[in-house]
Amino acid sequence: MNPSLKLALLVLVALEISFTHVWTVNIALIVVSLILMVWSHVAFKRLVMLTLIPVFFGGALVWSLTLRGTASTHFLLVIFTRMVAYVYMGGWFAQTTNPLTLTRSLEQNAKLPSKFAYGFLAAFNLMPKIQAEVATIKAAALMRGQVLHFWSPQLYFKVILAAMNWSDQLASAMTSHGFVEDAPRTHASEIPLITRDWVLLVGSLALVQIGLFVGLP
Amino acid sequence: MVNVSIHNLTFSYPQQAQPVLNAVNANFPAGQFSLLTGVSGGGKSTLLKLVAGLLPTDAMTVTFNGQSLAQIPATQRSQTVAMLFQEPSTQFTMDTVANELQFALENQQVPADEISQRVTAALDFIGIAPLRDRKLMHLSGGEQQKVALAIIVAMDSAVILLDEPFASIDPATRLVLLQRLAQLSRERGKTVILADHDLSGYTDYVDRLTVLADGRLSHLSPEATQERLANFAPARLRLQHVTVPGDNQPALLQGTQLSLATNGRTLIAPQDLGLFAHHTTLITGPNGSGKSTLFRSLVKLGHYEGVITYDGTDIHRLKRRPYARQVALMFQSAATQFLNVTVDEELALSLKNSYADHFTTTMVTHLLTELNLADRREQIIYTLSSGQQKKLQLLCMLIMAPDVLLLDEPFKGLDYESIQTVIQILKRVQRELNLTYILVSHQLSGLDTFIDYHLQLADQHLTYLGVSA
Repeated sequence: MNPSLKLALLVLVALEISFTHVWTVNIALIVVSLILMVWSHVAFKRLVMLTLIPVFFGGALVWSLTLRGTASTHFLLVIFTRMVAYVYMGGWFAQTTNPLTLTRSLEQNAKLPSKFAYGFLAAFNLMPKIQAEVATIKAAALMRGQVLHFWSPQLYFKVILAAMNWSDQLASAMTSHGFVEDAPRTHASEIPLITRDWVLLVGSLALVQIGLFVGLP
Repeated sequence: MVNVSIHNLTFSYPQQAQPVLNAVNANFPAGQFSLLTGVSGGGKSTLLKLVAGLLPTDAMTVTFNGQSLAQIPATQRSQTVAMLFQEPSTQFTMDTVANELQFALENQQVPADEISQRVTAALDFIGIAPLRDRKLMHLSGGEQQKVALAIIVAMDSAVILLDEPFASIDPATRLVLLQRLAQLSRERGKTVILADHDLSGYTDYVDRLTVLADGRLSHLSPEATQERLANFAPARLRLQHVTVPGDNQPALLQGTQLSLATNGRTLIAPQDLGLFAHHTTLITGPNGSGKSTLFRSLVKLGHYEGVITYDGTDIHRLKRRPYARQVALMFQSAATQFLNVTVDEELALSLKNSYADHFTTTMVTHLLTELNLADRREQIIYTLSSGQQKKLQLLCMLIMAPDVLLLDEPFKGLDYESIQTVIQILKRVQRELNLTYILVSHQLSGLDTFIDYHLQLADQHLTYLGVSA
């Protein structure tokens, strides 16, 4: 499916289930996302992580609401399945979408300004460098007798300083590689947007509407 | 063929009284390979950025065949001038080599069906076709610089600017890049301007040397250029007092079958290596040969094969926190080591956490005076010059007084007088606290009476030099 439409579908469905209380639709979304992930060969370990995290937090939330004793069972069920559905749908999107294809699609199909599209991509590709920098900053601080935890403001101050420096360098490099804001570009890799994508989008949304309508009390 | 002219160019950074460039006039002829030299911090990078249009200039101060960059349509500027940067890893937008080249060509609005073949041609010219689908972040610094040059070749830029491109790459890659650049200027008529403060190894490649000193540029004639290049020898180390450690001398840090590699390239082949307590050891070797990587391994920040022990214990089994008290690294980039905002705050932190009850506030004041930093106590660290930052970093690390202090280029950016002061202070503290120093330095003058052992890294092997004890 076209990445931009996939993103739109995800956001729309997530919004809808935020405002409706139909746990059966949530379950259906969980099952569909799971099938899609298994079908796309998402690693088993990833799936376990994607299950454990929402089950833990959802469980904690349900437990605390039960202790307060005011919430109905139906509400608890909705809250719990909604959380798992969010994570599963997000997982399906993140695990089956290549950031570069998404960027190209947002630029070509959704007409997002190329500045945002490629700025985001450059930052994304710097992630490993940021991780290495965090390790270096922690070690350098340790050598000054200072332990930096992931919640220490000093760690973030240092990382932001480093990132500002890199962003300057990246911006210079992009200019030097011919990138001009808002200027037209050619596209050697076209991201197709075909009728099938629209059918999938509209069809999926329609199914969710029907589910919500039928399921509403 | 594009000729670069600079007319009356003056530039100063905000908050700085002295202009970096003062009424510079110069002409870089089309199709020539010019080498731009001058002291570090002297304005070479600034000049290149101004020519590349990355910093604002007044109209007509920099012209390409008589046209200023502003007169050239924005999308065609990269065909006129492109730049290769000092830091290899932060000059890419995309994930893989081919995608980055494609990105640059799409920016130039090259028709989609021509792009693939131009990418192939550029990669073949530099000789990196096998890297085509590799992830940029997984390449070594040298490979990344090759990719950066391939992009410029693909874009077919007429003027190629390079800002200290060899600072962190190995000699073999440097040679390949130099040959390609010479070929680009001679066979394809490109105008190449390369900034470097180290003039070794350029004799066969450059046409002309340009010197930037005190904000002014001067060109040397071809004869004077050749003479200057031939006479430039990297500062030779004259160490008369170094000895080779005895065979049975116990080592404080001991590597057993230690080997280092970065992104698949071997830096140090498996060897045993001892580093000795209460002495000063100097490690020398070419750029990119693995000196900083060795330091990072010694402080548990890098991967290595084999075993490293400290005082008989495998460092893998030592906890980070207590180990940082014993072996600490003074990083090459001073800013990495600072945690606060002002000079005084930084010194107070070191005094609070120091492992030795040696330093007092009076002593620190005295040291600051020696280092010419006494009137900067309230200043924000990041507004200090790079040399001042380096001196402050050294002071902070010395106050910490770890048993072993690894110093990665501690004299970088310092003038001769400062180096002498710093060495005096290092010696004094070592005597008083019985510290162990291991340093990596390209700056070698004045080190003779300071160094006890000299380790040379060459051909993936570390060897102690000097007379046998």
